[in-house]
Amino acid sequence: MTPRAEAESLAGFLPGVLLEARRLSAAAPGVHGRRRAGPGEAFWQFRDHRPEDGARLVDWRRSARGERLYVREREKEAAQSALFWIDPAPGFHWKSDGPWPTKARRALALSLAAGILFSRGGERIGALGMPPRAGARAVERLALDLSLHSAAHPPAPPARSAVIFASDFYAPPEEWRERLRAAAGVAATGVLLMIADPAEEDFPYRGRTQFEEPGGGAMKTLFGRAEAAQAEYAGRLAAHRAAIRTTAQAAGFVPILHRTDRSAGPALSLLMAALEERR
Amino acid sequence: MTFGPFFFAAPAALLALLALPALFFLLRATPPTPQRVVFPPLRILLGIRTEEEARRRAPLWLVLLRAFAAALAILGFARPSLAPEAAAMAAGSGPTLIVMDDGWTSAPFWPMAKAAAESAIADAERAGQPVAILRTTPERTPPAAPDIDAAADARAKLSRLDPKPWRPDRKAALDRLNLAQGQFARIVWISDGVGDDGARAFAEALKLRGPVLVRSPPRTARALISGAATADGIEAQVRRAPGGPGSGAIAAETLEGRSLGAAEFRFTGGDTITARIALPPEIASRAARIRIVGETSAGATRLMPAGSGRALVGLIDQGSNSQPLLSEMHYVDRAIQPFATARRGGARQLIEQGAQALILPDASRLAAPERAAIDAWLDKGGLLVRFAGPRLANDADEPLPVRLRPGSRTLGGALAWEKPQGLQPFPADSPFFGLSAPPDVAVRRQVLSEPASEREARVWARLADGASIVTAAPRGKGLVVLYHVTAGPEWSDLALSGLYVEMLKRTLAFAGRATNGAREGDASGPFLAERLLDGFGALRAPDVDAQPIPATAFTAAAASPATPPGLYARAGGTAAAIDAARPDETLSELALPAGVARAGLDAARTRALGGGLLGFALLVLAIDLFVALALAGRLPRLPSRAPAAAAALIAAFMMAPDAHAQRARDPAADMHLAYIFTGDARADRTARAGLESLAEELRNRTAVEPGPTMGVDPARDDLSPYPILYWFAPETPTRLSDAAVANLDRYMRLGGMLFIDTRDAGRARGAGAAPGPAAIMLQGLDAPPLEIIGANHVLTRAFYLLRSFPGRYQNTRIYAETAAAAASRDGVAALLVGDGDWATAWVSDASGRPMGGIEDRQHELALRFGINLVMVALTGNYKADQVHVPALLERMGEQPERAR
Repeated sequence: MTPRAEAESLAGFLPGVLLEARRLSAAAPGVHGRRRAGPGEAFWQFRDHRPEDGARLVDWRRSARGERLYVREREKEAAQSALFWIDPAPGFHWKSDGPWPTKARRALALSLAAGILFSRGGERIGALGMPPRAGARAVERLALDLSLHSAAHPPAPPARSAVIFASDFYAPPEEWRERLRAAAGVAATGVLLMIADPAEEDFPYRGRTQFEEPGGGAMKTLFGRAEAAQAEYAGRLAAHRAAIRTTAQAAGFVPILHRTDRSAGPALSLLMAALEERR
Repeated sequence: MTFGPFFFAAPAALLALLALPALFFLLRATPPTPQRVVFPPLRILLGIRTEEEARRRAPLWLVLLRAFAAALAILGFARPSLAPEAAAMAAGSGPTLIVMDDGWTSAPFWPMAKAAAESAIADAERAGQPVAILRTTPERTPPAAPDIDAAADARAKLSRLDPKPWRPDRKAALDRLNLAQGQFARIVWISDGVGDDGARAFAEALKLRGPVLVRSPPRTARALISGAATADGIEAQVRRAPGGPGSGAIAAETLEGRSLGAAEFRFTGGDTITARIALPPEIASRAARIRIVGETSAGATRLMPAGSGRALVGLIDQGSNSQPLLSEMHYVDRAIQPFATARRGGARQLIEQGAQALILPDASRLAAPERAAIDAWLDKGGLLVRFAGPRLANDADEPLPVRLRPGSRTLGGALAWEKPQGLQPFPADSPFFGLSAPPDVAVRRQVLSEPASEREARVWARLADGASIVTAAPRGKGLVVLYHVTAGPEWSDLALSGLYVEMLKRTLAFAGRATNGAREGDASGPFLAERLLDGFGALRAPDVDAQPIPATAFTAAAASPATPPGLYARAGGTAAAIDAARPDETLSELALPAGVARAGLDAARTRALGGGLLGFALLVLAIDLFVALALAGRLPRLPSRAPAAAAALIAAFMMAPDAHAQRARDPAADMHLAYIFTGDARADRTARAGLESLAEELRNRTAVEPGPTMGVDPARDDLSPYPILYWFAPETPTRLSDAAVANLDRYMRLGGMLFIDTRDAGRARGAGAAPGPAAIMLQGLDAPPLEIIGANHVLTRAFYLLRSFPGRYQNTRIYAETAAAAASRDGVAALLVGDGDWATAWVSDASGRPMGGIEDRQHELALRFGINLVMVALTGNYKADQVHVPALLERMGEQPERAR
């Protein structure tokens, strides 16, 4: 494959997800921006100098070009940035037989849709571990970062940011307890987007079956009749989910469960509602 | 080793059956392989225990199925065969004697007889006994004892054995049997089921020499004992042995084997029946043989030598047949064909050949020797039929029944008062009495007889005005008949009417009494075989050692080695036949003494079972495979998907033979440079290497990224995915096949670009030299008009700006389709023909250096040309408007030189 062909195949994938995300975000209920002047870093607008402003606020560079005095106003800094993390584990890039996408792809679509909405609201978005950005290119940048450089272990989020962790959360709850506690320590909160494949939920296997780890790991287990293990599996899965939920809520995160065979719209609404609420 | 009716050729393999129980337990202990799935929440699954997991054994019925398959395979490898007679063969020692009835009476079921003999040989081979074959038909050589051979030799001898066209002679066979010494372990007589005088004695003698098994056919042979053409067709007599098949059909055929007609027969009461095939006489006369349908034997074939039972009529031909179809002879010839055999020639020659009647069309004087011969023949009883005509009218010459007036009488016409005359009804004393003259038969001209002379003659027919038109008079024992008109239609319509045929038929009936004036003279000539029958009733060329048969012996000859049946002829031209079955042929049932075992021919053949068993074992294993897959959960569970899968599988198998069509890559998925397979391996290799190098340069320098270079066969492949086809001339160009030409024409019409490289720029070609490769390669192609490309052609600027197009040769010429011809494609040429051997120039080694023995600069220029070529193929005339740049700049008021 020539390098360009490689880039093109990636580019062929991203617009699809972006389009899906845009469609999702267009259907989401109204989110309003907060474009107004305020303390912040980014330039917002020039306005006429008023007497009460005093000489210190005059923007001399702009004023020198004309005959009037101008004041440089900065945009009101958003209270936080929205940061996204998608689990890069091979198990997350897996799907069972069926017309649904992989868990990672669905997570990417949901994250980008949320990113578009935030970005439209004037907030900064970015992949966790990358500096958040605002503006029109931020979504494309987020898409690239999420699909190319997602760290296996999410770095600590910056203070007061909203963090969206998308994963299947099959790792032991203790692992997540550590991470979320660290996030809570810097007043970062957010959402745990738990994405599950229908096969993981329903356990449709029967007959003599050997289950193996995704990504070629050595772990495996064999059942003479897989259907016999279904009930116990369901119980254990529920217990695991409950542990994750408890952990999340203790750290101020909202857990959202989404199945890849269901429509992504409701999940996006839940996600946005959870984030709006905490703002 | 025998086991009941089964015989095992490799009994040692059966020992493996002892291992079956062990295999059974081994299979029982081996669980089926599990289905394997990847499952991300595996961590959660770990540690779950189900009680079913302990059950790791394969189900009992599956183990039984596998053990059954193994048992079948073991039995199969022991090479069993079903041989009911093998047990009987086991006893006794000494050779096996096979007595083979190989007369025509065995021909109808010969394959069965041979198979029975084969089976007997196989039995003997298993028992390790030698084999002797005793044939029962007589031979010309003195009797000899049958050879005792190994089974393989006996089999070879048997395969060469064919039925003879005569009957077995058991007396002679007994003599030969008596020459053989000792006892036989077993005697198998493969009989024809028909008895003869010596059969009983022969069977008694066989009984003394060993245990006898007589195998007889289910249906005995039948014979055609007579056959002849009659007035209403063909009649034949069929004879059967008592208890033989009761019904059938006979058919008449020409010598070439074309069927003329057939008739069914059914035996009622006796064992001889007459069957008749109704045929018009002229068709019946063409029959060359009669045979019993479905019975291929010499005895069921009756030969009818040409002309048998028909008068031999000589047409005296005086050698003026410049227009054979218009001559009078032709009319006579056709008219007598249904009832007589005509032969042309001189009078003397015809008389020598035994003609019973002579027909002499309009003639003037006969030569003296001819005349003398005719007179002598007439005295002995010949029949001479003469016709009138201008020559006879001028100069009448004997022999004639009446005296003629000189000249002829014309009825009708511009200068005559009389009208053309019809015929009177025929008088009661005329041989034509009873025939009705059609009213439209008119006579326009005739010769007149002297009325006085008519008193001595007989008048057979008269015109309406009383003038005689057919007269006859005896000459010695013979008869002379004169038709007073021409034999053709010049003087009358008689020759055009059916009456003519009837009249001639009745006239020639007098030939019967005039038999054999000359025939006895040459009766001494022997008969020579022309074609002989084989045992199956087919005619073949005789062997070189076929003996002539004296005429005296011929009539009494029965079919035998000395007088083989077939068609014979002798010097005089007389054809005759010896038939395999005589009119007094006796077909009786084969009577056997008590104490002789009898069996049918079709019963109890040895059947090998090994293949079937192994096949069945494979089938069971295939079932087992599906069962194992189903147990492992690998088969689709929904039954509705099974038919679709089966259909897909069948479709895949049906597509499989055309492996050529199954390319790993879809050529339309990428852009490929392609070349045409020429069949010249070197040229193809060069073309591929050149295009590969060009593709590499395209990838490096341009936005075109061709996939792997493809070779295409224009006769088979779809050409439409390729924007350009490079056709590199082979050493010896050949014309394309029609399919390839049609495909290439279609390719060019659809907008493809065909680039032909003739590689002959360096070769001088004078006038009269062989046509160039282009001429041969373009043969049949719907090639458009071409022109040499100029400095403004789009090829000069599609990517690089080029002034010349060097390939391996510096000075090359390129012809392209004219812009006018390519107007429908917006002026983009579909056909380019060049002579620069570019593929050789394009080839570069790994470091990009030229390999074609050319300078770097030339290599580079050749590559630039190649890039331009591909660009033109891909972009058409996109760059052609650059041709107008100077003009456009000029119009804008700027000098072209200043354009940046």
